[in-house]
Amino acid sequence: MLPAPFTADFLNRLEALRLRTRKEVLGSRPGSYSSPHRGTSLEFADYRRYSPGDDIRYLDWGVYARTERLYVKLFREEVDLFVYLFLDASGSMAFPSAQEKFSPASHTALALAYVVLANHDHVKLHLLQESSAAPASPFYRGRHRIISCVDFVSEVSPKGPLDFAHSLGEHLRRIHRPGKAIICSDFLMSASSYQRGLNLLRAFNLDIAVIQTLSPQEVNPAFARGSLALWDSETQEEIKLQWSTELLRAYRARLDHHNLELRSFCHQSGIHYSLFVTDRDLSEFVLETLPAIGLFR
Amino acid sequence: MEFLNPAALYAALFLPLLLIPYLIRGRPRRQIFSSLILLKEFASRSSGRTWGRLYLPPIFFLQLLLLLLLVLALGEPVFSIRPVKIAIVLDNSASMQALEGRKSRFELAQDEVSGILRDLGARSRVDLYLLVPRLERIGEEAMAPSKAMALIRTLSPYDLGDSAVNYGGRFSSLVEEKGYERLFFLTDHPVQGQGGVIKAVSLGGPKDNFAISSLELLRSSFISSQLEARVEITSFASREGKMKVTLKGAGKILASKAITVVPGKVATTSFAGLPPHPYYEAEIDAKDALALDNHRFAVPSLSADLKILAISPRPQSLASLSSIPGVTLKVISPEGYAKSEEAQHSLEVFHFSAPSVLPHHHALFVLPPKDNPLVAEEKSLSRPVISFWRDPHPLTRYVNFALLRPNYARTLRPLSVGEPIIQSPEGPLAIAFESQGYRYLVLGFDPFPYLGRQNLPVSIFTLNLLSWFYEGRGGSSLPTGEPLELQDGTLVTPKQDRFQIKKGSPLFSRTFYQGLYQVTRGGEKEWIAANLAGAKESDLNNPVPVDLTGEASRPGSRSSLFSLWPYLLLLSILLLFLEWYFNPPVTQS
Repeated sequence: MLPAPFTADFLNRLEALRLRTRKEVLGSRPGSYSSPHRGTSLEFADYRRYSPGDDIRYLDWGVYARTERLYVKLFREEVDLFVYLFLDASGSMAFPSAQEKFSPASHTALALAYVVLANHDHVKLHLLQESSAAPASPFYRGRHRIISCVDFVSEVSPKGPLDFAHSLGEHLRRIHRPGKAIICSDFLMSASSYQRGLNLLRAFNLDIAVIQTLSPQEVNPAFARGSLALWDSETQEEIKLQWSTELLRAYRARLDHHNLELRSFCHQSGIHYSLFVTDRDLSEFVLETLPAIGLFR
Repeated sequence: MEFLNPAALYAALFLPLLLIPYLIRGRPRRQIFSSLILLKEFASRSSGRTWGRLYLPPIFFLQLLLLLLLVLALGEPVFSIRPVKIAIVLDNSASMQALEGRKSRFELAQDEVSGILRDLGARSRVDLYLLVPRLERIGEEAMAPSKAMALIRTLSPYDLGDSAVNYGGRFSSLVEEKGYERLFFLTDHPVQGQGGVIKAVSLGGPKDNFAISSLELLRSSFISSQLEARVEITSFASREGKMKVTLKGAGKILASKAITVVPGKVATTSFAGLPPHPYYEAEIDAKDALALDNHRFAVPSLSADLKILAISPRPQSLASLSSIPGVTLKVISPEGYAKSEEAQHSLEVFHFSAPSVLPHHHALFVLPPKDNPLVAEEKSLSRPVISFWRDPHPLTRYVNFALLRPNYARTLRPLSVGEPIIQSPEGPLAIAFESQGYRYLVLGFDPFPYLGRQNLPVSIFTLNLLSWFYEGRGGSSLPTGEPLELQDGTLVTPKQDRFQIKKGSPLFSRTFYQGLYQVTRGGEKEWIAANLAGAKESDLNNPVPVDLTGEASRPGSRSSLFSLWPYLLLLSILLLFLEWYFNPPVTQS
């Protein structure tokens, strides 16, 4: 059973989308994404001197007429895409509740997965949690496997702390084929932490996209004025502060700065970045905002 | 600006309670947040606050101001517009002589009045009133403040008690009649329920005091010339008092005794074998607030004989009275009494009869008929048992009441304030009254047929009652303020003022001071003692509160007060809206 936002109209519009990659990919089957290998597509890539055994159908007779030398035309190979969807399932994704933050984040991931599956590409869901098992789904292909994706996601309950770079590292040990990595997380962590994690993905030659997911309560906390003891949902650390309008303003400025820092790092590193506040409409975000940042073609 | 309800301002003492919700709010509420990485820097900033955990936002001061305004509004603040016509009522009763430090309460009141008069404009007009002996204006009507001030300085308090009646009603009728804009009432009593136009100023506080409440001169028998003085000292103090009681005869010290008075109790001492003097004075050397009641005066009876006029339809029953030494008896019928102008006797005995009005003599009423002015008779009893008698009392001395069993008696119910002396279980059988210096005794049984050795208790009781009337003869002392009935001669008051009394003059009523009044008639001198009556004036620890709740709501010709509390209330409501605007209810996540 698909979640509520996935209406027939929304699914139809998702099917019209295709993920865009900035790098050549290594697929296992013919597909629609450029591979570094030469193949049989219609897109011309290069010339090569004829050597015995080459298919004479690819000889360029025009070049031979001008230079009396035999050259064969080479074409790009187009392969299918492997997409790795990393979904943050740490404790912070359950604030203020799993329904208000983790579910919208997982719906975004499912929408992206559906885009991939509809294009007969491969998608694999990875959960970012503090666990050495590094839970992940198998590769799915074909749009009917969206149900498997839903089942996989619905069994997850966000909890525990998260070492972003370490958790990504655990998952990357089992990734052998370059492709596209999409990370759905709140990125409420230190800049050094997410930078180390994203650099790891870059080192694996993955084409990366980041979708920062925040709840409205994180953007604009509505605590009553006065003394407040705040507990960190992941580390159980406690701080005490006097909540006031002035402090709210200061917090929002700090959050804006944090998000800007993340966005700048992504731009500098060739990573797609988008911010999704969970009170926004999912279809509007997926069908308008994500194409605008160049995630789809 | 002044406050009509200043007691409400004590509510301001509770304003610091407003801090409590902030202290409670100051206890941190525990909340879970996704990640504190962005908030850590603010935590370190807030912990460095000078106020520590108590955080007082600007809204606190707004709320404080709001409560302060409400408290002020409760105090009913008014702006006094300079009144033009005012009245000043000065309590000049005896308790105003009590010392508060170096000054008496009356002097403090004079200072207060001076302050009030100084604040008045030159066009203002003042009427001065004294409270005792009755509420009465003194000086001219509508005096200039300077003239009123000069008059006030000449006044002194009288040795009189005040009646402590409903002054509120009397003052408000005065305000309405005369059209006063303000009436200032200066007294040493605590005041309840003062309102807008009438402003009471209460002077002085609780003070320890000792008072000579009674000085009695007794004679062992009618024919004896030796006197015995009995002095009763009452403590109105919270501490034990040790003092010396001195008895003087005609200004000379006759004897003195040391006495200890327990707080709130009465101590009695007596001096026997006193030589005859025209007057006596008892004095205690207590260091207390009111010196007036440390003295008391008494005058002994002049002659030894007791002349009795008996009015009886049964004269034979009274025959035994004439057998008592020192008693001269004349018996007339009730009809004869109306025609009689006999004035030489000192006691009237109404035996089964009663006059229509109280006589101006000491009088004994024996089983009076129904239309008497003192008692109503109730049950008839046969050989009643005496279950209660006043002891000590001159009437009950040496009487064995177990043996006093009259054959017939009727219980009595006093029509005015009387003191039951003897009681049976069914009701009083003897009630004593005292009015205008005369003693009256009503008996519910007839003792006279049983005089003699056959019935000793009745005989002793009869001798007691004759002695009691004998002591009261001529009046050992009068309460101050009681008018003197004089024939003619010269009267010298304790303040050495001289008055010529002519024959046929009305009563001399200016007995406002305690002491001895000397009447000179021909070559003869007569002394009359007047003493402060009643314990209310002496009790400085528990003064009777003055009730002003009857004050009229309608002021005089023009209101001199501009009420501020409605504006303060309006301002409070505006602040409440402002507070609501700045501090709307927050939906907590």
